Amino acid sequence: MTVTQSPVETRNSSPAYGGVGRPQPQGLADILERILDKGIVIAGDIRVNLLDIELLTVKIRLLVVSVDKAQEMGIDWWRNDPMLNSSAEQLAEENRELRARVQQLEDGGAEGKG
Amino acid sequence: MSSGRASSSSRTAARKEKADPMPASGHYLVAVSRSLDPHALTGVQGIRDSAVRVVECEGLQAVVCDVDLDEFGEEPLRRNLENLSWVEEMARAHHAAVCAVDAVATTVPMRFATIYESEDRVAEQLRVLRDPLTEALDRVDGAAEWSVKAYAAPVAAEAEDRPRAETGAAYLARRREAVEARRRRESDDEQVLSDLHHELATRAVASRRLMPQDPRLSGRQEPMRMNAAYLVTHDAAQSFSDYATKALADRTELRVEVDGPWPPYSFASLEPS
Repeated sequence: MTVTQSPVETRNSSPAYGGVGRPQPQGLADILERILDKGIVIAGDIRVNLLDIELLTVKIRLLVVSVDKAQEMGIDWWRNDPMLNSSAEQLAEENRELRARVQQLEDGGAEGKG
Repeated sequence: MSSGRASSSSRTAARKEKADPMPASGHYLVAVSRSLDPHALTGVQGIRDSAVRVVECEGLQAVVCDVDLDEFGEEPLRRNLENLSWVEEMARAHHAAVCAVDAVATTVPMRFATIYESEDRVAEQLRVLRDPLTEALDRVDGAAEWSVKAYAAPVAAEAEDRPRAETGAAYLARRREAVEARRRRESDDEQVLSDLHHELATRAVASRRLMPQDPRLSGRQEPMRMNAAYLVTHDAAQSFSDYATKALADRTELRVEVDGPWPPYSFASLEPS
């Protein structure tokens, strides 16, 4: 058993749980990731599968779980969301467009000379 | 158990008769502890101003609080879980209660929204699951969870002063090289972080890598390259934290952040990891 400090004082603003040198409350991502996805799982009398919730799936499961895993689950709406596109994907897309454009120009130029 | 069944059927009846003005309440299980002095939790709130209390059975203590089934019953809960601000408020309340319990006794936190219809049902869980719960408490005894994350440092903006007369082919080659360089960098980072994780794991009782968080929830623009949790004994906590903070100090492309102690969420399991 570990008795460390007075419990009433430690709630919410506990320095022990405020993170290292961070005065603000712990991040929502950290809390949701642990509370929705970790911890002891015992079937309660109220039966709600957290991961069956439709919006929760989109909003939280996608955000807490990784993009890769979301892709496996077939959730991919963020692909069209410019905020979420990785620059790598943008680069690849830009590359494809440029290739097509260069090809077009080269074809056009060859015809012009001929 | 007869009392559990009676409670269950009366709740079902109450739900069917919508005229019933008195909302039934449920027992929300926050955490399981042992050697907990219930007086140490005086004044600690659970969900929505409901004080936490202790249900004891078989030497184990369940920390519970009342919740209104108009809010936490199956149908309302399903609806409320669609509301991210509701989820945030309740998750923070759950977390605050877990922290308060964890501060005074060896504790395993429960997953969000584990709710029973009666104290008897809570006690029954302690009785039925006594052995695996005891083992779970043994595994986290004297230790806390530490979070270590690594972010890629913001990538410097690409130089705009490209040659004016650059051909399309040269431009493509340059972009291709940039993509390649990025891929190499990420691969190097992964190796460095994998080594760091293994090094940190040797200083911990247990460890696990979690999924990197999406920038929209972490609020960080830099991509998260590593998200890991370590179960570290209280004695080793300071040196663990110091080591993790300094380990990659010479690598400007990666920024490591250490956060803790947390209640042992990532190591609270009924099965040995």
